[in-house]
Amino acid sequence: MLSQVAFASAILLLSQTAMVAALAALRPKSNIYVTIVLVALVTSPVVFYSDALLFGRRLTVEGRLFLVLVHLALGGFLFHFITLPDRSVTLRLLVELERAPEHRLSVPMLAGRYSVRSMIGSRLTQLADGQFIAIDASGRLTLRPRGNWFGRFVTGGRRLFRITSAN
Amino acid sequence: MLRLIVPLAAVAIFFACSWTTVRFFHPREPRRFFLLYALVLLVATTGVILHYWPIVSEEDAFGLLAALLLQLLACLTMWNAFYSLLWGFSGSLMHDLFTDAHLRDRERLIKSYEGDGEMDRILARRVPNLVRGGWVATDGQWLTLRPKGRLMAIGTLVSFKVFSLGMGGGIK
Repeated sequence: MLSQVAFASAILLLSQTAMVAALAALRPKSNIYVTIVLVALVTSPVVFYSDALLFGRRLTVEGRLFLVLVHLALGGFLFHFITLPDRSVTLRLLVELERAPEHRLSVPMLAGRYSVRSMIGSRLTQLADGQFIAIDASGRLTLRPRGNWFGRFVTGGRRLFRITSAN
Repeated sequence: MLRLIVPLAAVAIFFACSWTTVRFFHPREPRRFFLLYALVLLVATTGVILHYWPIVSEEDAFGLLAALLLQLLACLTMWNAFYSLLWGFSGSLMHDLFTDAHLRDRERLIKSYEGDGEMDRILARRVPNLVRGGWVATDGQWLTLRPKGRLMAIGTLVSFKVFSLGMGGGIK
């Protein structure tokens, strides 16, 4: 019974991952996080009715709801997993070293390949696209209401955890 | 469905323990404590659920699995929010913009990160950690990937390909 549950969970995870990868390949400019959430939600009803296929018998309604919760939780893990290669500065530094000849670089070479200027420029553009800030032609940055809320959240969170030094 | 109350309680305990640890003890690597608390609470939740809802059918097995996965997901979400929003690059950027009006200028903000030394603020934080963690070796001039660093980098490159992520690192 436990191996059947493990097998069903593996099928749920693999099918979600494959769908997300296929959709990301078809629409590379789309937001991968939106894709993950949509795939998990849209396929939930299918999962609810897939019990007979996965187990060879109908589960109770509660059992099927648990099946859907497992499916949604696995989608959540996929979401978190993607943040690592997509957002992590540290992983990008390792990738730059991997791509370098003999897998080695000096600090100035590393900074040249993945510069703080390009990092900040890209993040500012993303914050502007997300309506957190506005950037005018001279490079002046203005916090929008959403940015003020986010700034308060980060500042409050740091105060709550007494974080005085971060990245 | 009543059994889902157990992970809710565990998540509250996870937050309380994590908050107490970071706020009062300032560990160098909070993630080690987050991992410890998450694992201990998973064991505790398993024990409580098995005591009250022993596994006699697939429904029970899925009930336990759903509870454990949801609990782990909630802990991971807090962990990730802590690192990416409060401790990480994006959070720091937003914190700087919110608290220092002088930095609300693209060039001044970039200069504040570039600093005057050989390493900018981003590398100065991460390179020593990578060396200390055994991901990268250094002879003072060159940074060289160690085997486990290579493994991680190759895994990341595979993820870039599989999920069409471009070159990652938060750059679009």
